[in-house]
Amino acid sequence: MHTLTLAAAFLALSSAVLLYGLNYDTRLIEQRVQAGERAADRARNDIALLRAERAHLARPERIEPLARAQGLQPTLARQFVSRATPARLADADSAR
Amino acid sequence: MLILAHPRTPSERSQAAQPEPAIPLPEPRAADQVRLVGGALSLLFLAVAGQLASLAWKAESMVSAAMVEPVATSFSRPDIVDRNGRLLATDVEVHSLYADPARVLDADEAIEKLAALLPGLDEADLRKSLSDGSKRFVWVRRGLTPKVAQTVHDLGLPGFGFRKELRRAYPLGALAGHVLGRVDADNKGIAGVEAYIDEHVGIDAVHATRPSDRAPVRLSIDMAVQAGLEAELADAMARYQTVSAGALLMDAKSGEIVAAASLPRVEPARAADVTDQAKRDRLQSGTYELGSIFKLMTIAMALDRKQATLGTMVDVRVPLNVGRFEIKDLHPAGRPLSVSEIFIHSSNVGAAMLALEAGTPAQKEFLARAGLVSEMTTEAGTVAVPRTPNHWDRAETITIAYGHGLAVAPLQFAAGAAALVNGGMSVVPTYLVRSAASGAPPVTRVISEATSRDIRTLMRANVTDASGTGRRADVEGYEVGGKTGTADIAGPRGYRQGGVISSFFAAFPMSSPRYVALVLLFEPKPSAETGGKVLAGLTAAPVAAGIMRRIGPLLDLPNKSGAQR
Repeated sequence: MHTLTLAAAFLALSSAVLLYGLNYDTRLIEQRVQAGERAADRARNDIALLRAERAHLARPERIEPLARAQGLQPTLARQFVSRATPARLADADSAR
Repeated sequence: MLILAHPRTPSERSQAAQPEPAIPLPEPRAADQVRLVGGALSLLFLAVAGQLASLAWKAESMVSAAMVEPVATSFSRPDIVDRNGRLLATDVEVHSLYADPARVLDADEAIEKLAALLPGLDEADLRKSLSDGSKRFVWVRRGLTPKVAQTVHDLGLPGFGFRKELRRAYPLGALAGHVLGRVDADNKGIAGVEAYIDEHVGIDAVHATRPSDRAPVRLSIDMAVQAGLEAELADAMARYQTVSAGALLMDAKSGEIVAAASLPRVEPARAADVTDQAKRDRLQSGTYELGSIFKLMTIAMALDRKQATLGTMVDVRVPLNVGRFEIKDLHPAGRPLSVSEIFIHSSNVGAAMLALEAGTPAQKEFLARAGLVSEMTTEAGTVAVPRTPNHWDRAETITIAYGHGLAVAPLQFAAGAAALVNGGMSVVPTYLVRSAASGAPPVTRVISEATSRDIRTLMRANVTDASGTGRRADVEGYEVGGKTGTADIAGPRGYRQGGVISSFFAAFPMSSPRYVALVLLFEPKPSAETGGKVLAGLTAAPVAAGIMRRIGPLLDLPNKSGAQR
């Protein structure tokens, strides 16, 4: 009985120490998780802002004058060729 | 307890061997006590364990309950993207400046400094708010850029602080502004697709500035096509000096609107733009008498009722009177016209005679079947309700036959007319991509397959025929077909002099239409280029051609001109 009591007392004490440590660790991890979440939120906000900026820079109203300044213009229907055309061109090439 | 459990000495044991019946032994009592205490402790531990288990079980709900905030600072909204996933609207984090009047030391100095940094600051209003000591919170300016916020912060004004908020950003400026709508200062949708998102997709109240986790809302709009369409319309507005202009491109079968623009445009981020009457959405929020493009309906009705074929001759020389007015053609043919010719020459008398032959009830029934007299809603809001005549009899039947007396929103007309070319099935317009999940709405048959074929033949002939009103709308490679309309504008006292709505309804490629387009020019001015006239064939038709030439290559279409090369 004596041994059992001692063992129980020891167990109670050690589990108390263990719990205290665990509690401490948990709070530490919790802080780290919160910091991680905050960083993730910041990153998400930054990504949202960067995506908006990219879309803003690529807006047609900005690109069009730049493209026209390069001598480009909207595609014309006659710039498209049917699938048969390249074959004909290939034949012409081989005949030469 | 230790004493009770003490082991007995040998002398005690020898004493125990002698009979002493009068005195009860302590041992059994001690053992009982040990059991009792042990049992109590076990129960206690069990209770603690039970409580722990129950806590562990409920942990999640307890935590979330603790995180609920009484007041959300703003709302996070899902992004809006075009049909190809390009960003049209998103939430970004902004800094909003507030003041705590009780802690502001020198309001005049603060206001002076702030006014220099924040243009348009209402100084008198702010002074009034800051002098009210009972308030502890006053917004000074919301949605500051990080740079401005830093400058204000550097002033070090006591009693002023910042709050981070989510603010809706429209990176493409005014592109598709009418469709997107607008949000209020708290990021809640109040118009257009933004309002639809609040009602049908969902937004989330957030305390922090955390962008939405929801999947982006995918519109049927194609950003590149929309940009091309808006650019062409802006050119047309300048060329014909119109008051406003509108155009839309819609999938002829699914009703997906690929581009829709009403000029002058609105910027969703500018509240003043959205409430400006001059900038209202002409396609959806107003009804107009559209004129001759309505003859599409009259002729489709006559063909579908089998009262006439394309070759049936109608004597358009017969004088047709409505009250004291005589219905006339702009260019009287002076001979009987076939139904095809009525369409191509856009004969008012011919259309009126076909409608009279069908009768008022048949006309009412047909227009109802085409969806032109009922209410319509799209994701961008309610479509203006069609204005039908209070008294609908012979006179109204005649005028409605050529597009006067019945006013509909252009979008609603486009949907009704799409059914005439797509094989005869009704079309429900939408600004969202129709996915397998959302499914297609139920459609009904408006006209027969054969009638739809006839209408396609007529529309194509109107563009290819040398005398067709739509010949200036032809675009090489796209097999365009269409119908012009030049409508007088109804004013409070009859029709206004001079001002017209010039319109063109097109479909392409005409052998199996994939898209329908509607172009409207409001009050174009006559010029030397148009020979001093404002007829749709000289204004709206070439604009439609310009739009199709520009956006055609962006659409997934078989190209006939390529095959010819």
